[in-house]
Amino acid sequence: MSSLQGYVDRHVLLILQDGRAIVGIMAGFDQKSNVVLSESKERVYSMDEGVEEIPLGLYLVKGDMIVLIGEIDEALDKAVDLSTIRAEAIPPIRY
Amino acid sequence: MLIFSVFKTLTDQQVTVELKNDLSITGVLKSVDQFLNIRLDNIKVLDEARHPHMMAVKNCFIRGSVVRYVQLPAEHVDTQLLEDATRREALTQVKR
Amino acid sequence: MDPSSSGIQEPFDLIRLSLSERVFVKLRGDRQLTGILHAYDGHMNLILSDVEETIMIVDVDDENVTAGSKTVNVAKRKMDMLFVRGDGVILVSPPSRT
Repeated sequence: MSSLQGYVDRHVLLILQDGRAIVGIMAGFDQKSNVVLSESKERVYSMDEGVEEIPLGLYLVKGDMIVLIGEIDEALDKAVDLSTIRAEAIPPIRY
Repeated sequence: MLIFSVFKTLTDQQVTVELKNDLSITGVLKSVDQFLNIRLDNIKVLDEARHPHMMAVKNCFIRGSVVRYVQLPAEHVDTQLLEDATRREALTQVKR
Repeated sequence: MDPSSSGIQEPFDLIRLSLSERVFVKLRGDRQLTGILHAYDGHMNLILSDVEETIMIVDVDDENVTAGSKTVNVAKRKMDMLFVRGDGVILVSPPSRT
């Protein structure tokens, strides 16, 4: 069974169908993969400047909007200097 | 159920999942569920330079609905068994 | 017509005849595949081997917008064993005889 139980209370990265990247702590989930994230922030990537982090707070993300949920290795994440990263936004999902 | 069963036999194998947003992720298949949601460990994003978004992520959950393809290890797939199982599954489907 | 279980009654029966044969698959997003069909299910999820994928890339030449100034580029890729999710499948057929 592919369960999200292993991610509860961990730092996760959510990639959404419109290409947005949200990081936060997974507080809960359900069978439809709806997810509650606390201390969430959107990371906006651009080719011209470094990553912008927009604080969002407590969020419920609908499961049908989720592309993937990645467990963030906090040591690795701290090692990355977001202001130096240049990247295009993730493309949206096209059916 | 058929495809779900095939994926279950491939746990602990290296697969490459291509998503509908053109992201390709290689990793070890740890688990799969009835919706064909996939858990991958030890992931590597193909073309990492274009997608540094997942640099700090080593394992992930991928929602089944966003998958376009999964590249499977051919040596671990018994095609004869698959075809026989498909014929059997097709017979049970007719009774809808 | 004798509606016995050995006849072709519905589209999936036609696909069943193509098992272990090479098929042509048209997908959403201007993609095509040819491969040997090993499995399918009611969602049109497929498992194919010895696959060649062809992606059509259409470039529109903006500067010379005369009728028909488009170039079609093709990108091909080969894969040994592939699962294809059914929601992207438009059609499955025996390979076109060209």
